[in-house]
Amino acid sequence: MGSDIRICTLPIIHYLTKESNDIRKLVDHLFRHESGKMVSVLSRVLGLQNLEVAYDIVQDTLLQAMSTWSFGQIPDNPSAWLYRVARNKAIDFLRREKKFREISPQYAYLVQSEWTLSPTINNLFLDNEIEDSQLRMMFACCHPSIPEESQIALTLKTLCGLSISEIAKAFLTNDDTISKRIYRAKEKIKSERIELIVPSGDELHVRLDAVLKSLYLLFNEGYNSSHPERLIREDLCEEAMRLCLLLTQHSLTGYPRSKALLSLMCFQSSRLNTRLDEKGNIILLKNQERNKWNRSLIRKGFEYIEAAAEPFEVSTYHLEAGIASIHAASPSFEKTDWKSIYHLYQMLYELQPNPVVAMNKAIASAYAISKEKALEELQQIKGLEKHHLYYASMGEMYFDLHQKENAKKYFEKAYNLTDSQSERQLLLEKISLC
Amino acid sequence: MLIFQGPLPPKMSPDQMQENMGKWMAWIDKLAKKEQYVSGEPLLPGGKLVAGTNGKTVTDGPYTEGKEIVGGFFIINAKDIAEAVAISKECPDFDLGTTVQVRQVMKMDM
Repeated sequence: MGSDIRICTLPIIHYLTKESNDIRKLVDHLFRHESGKMVSVLSRVLGLQNLEVAYDIVQDTLLQAMSTWSFGQIPDNPSAWLYRVARNKAIDFLRREKKFREISPQYAYLVQSEWTLSPTINNLFLDNEIEDSQLRMMFACCHPSIPEESQIALTLKTLCGLSISEIAKAFLTNDDTISKRIYRAKEKIKSERIELIVPSGDELHVRLDAVLKSLYLLFNEGYNSSHPERLIREDLCEEAMRLCLLLTQHSLTGYPRSKALLSLMCFQSSRLNTRLDEKGNIILLKNQERNKWNRSLIRKGFEYIEAAAEPFEVSTYHLEAGIASIHAASPSFEKTDWKSIYHLYQMLYELQPNPVVAMNKAIASAYAISKEKALEELQQIKGLEKHHLYYASMGEMYFDLHQKENAKKYFEKAYNLTDSQSERQLLLEKISLC
Repeated sequence: MLIFQGPLPPKMSPDQMQENMGKWMAWIDKLAKKEQYVSGEPLLPGGKLVAGTNGKTVTDGPYTEGKEIVGGFFIINAKDIAEAVAISKECPDFDLGTTVQVRQVMKMDM
């Protein structure tokens, strides 16, 4: 990954930048990301059923770092320092608690003997083992028996080191809701005896799809939200990308579709800064300042989509990334290759025949074929009766066909169906033009 | 000498902990640029109190629990106690219940 892409390089290297007077600054979110790594590693040896113990050890470790580093001395390698402390705390815990039954069977034997206890735990803190542990944790958090919203909450808590309140804030909900989602996930971990393993064979395909879906939803949560704080929206996108990057880099999970999803995320996030104006109002693709799109992310998007090309695997992520790439490559809205976009939407609809895809396909047809065609397609869609974007698109087509009364009617319907301030603002402007 | 005393901080998220630490580092950085920061050390919790004839009584403490815990100290350069107090007011942890003792190290004129 190029060092010019902040969003993609965060977890990798350069945790420290030397500053004047030898007072050094830690890289953004170091604690958060190290927390995710340590929880994954510790859960592996303690067993996923002891997830709470892993959280506690990590919390203690970070607290110890905070209360010692604050007086002016940061270790040369902060991550290594954290791992050493966490490792020692885990060893102490294992010596103290002789309840080895709960511990994952693979390690139960090894941690019983003083001979093998330390080396076993030391090994798990090696770089490639850390990555492996994170991967296992991803599969556990996105286990199909856990409801999707709980998967995302658990992923953010365990792998991304967010607290319950931070997750609640990102999802514009309260702590209680998120606690319940995480509780439900933990119940499933117990009842289904979910373990930290990367599935193999045919199961891997199915399970990887669940992981990718969860990351896709996490990304969209950040990308589509109208959360007033830009940093929070970016954070969610960034976390999804960080985990997806991990999947693409691992030999077991670096499937073309993992790369296609990362490509899609790169293309979408290249537009993050231009999607909302300073008041938080949505700026439509048509009106975005294309010169402000992040070029290095677009380049990465193209790199990953090329790496994802494979004749026998075309996933929905490939198609979505393909659509996003056409937008990214277009010098203007008018010069966009709508025919290709429409074609890709047709293919996407075949793989994923749902009304939202149908709606996007219809919108593309407005530019690829005609507004009449788009209107016809839109009218045939069933199942979006409560969806404000559906009515907004209908309004848009009528507006362009100079049927202002119909347009107004649909814009008003859309207005009544959305709670988002920025979307309401946009619709009010439309209504005033009818 | 600034002696920082306070309770264990409430449960914080990793990001909040890092943010808190960042404030301390920014403070130290600022003091260092003005050549006011000399050194600082954290102290481990716990300790022993030795008292009585020939130091016969050894007990845990002082400052082993609750508000009494001394987290660490700074040695700073200040022209007088007023300036040292002014500096100590910039401590980022007052809202976590931290108190700062400002003490002057005696210079012996030989």
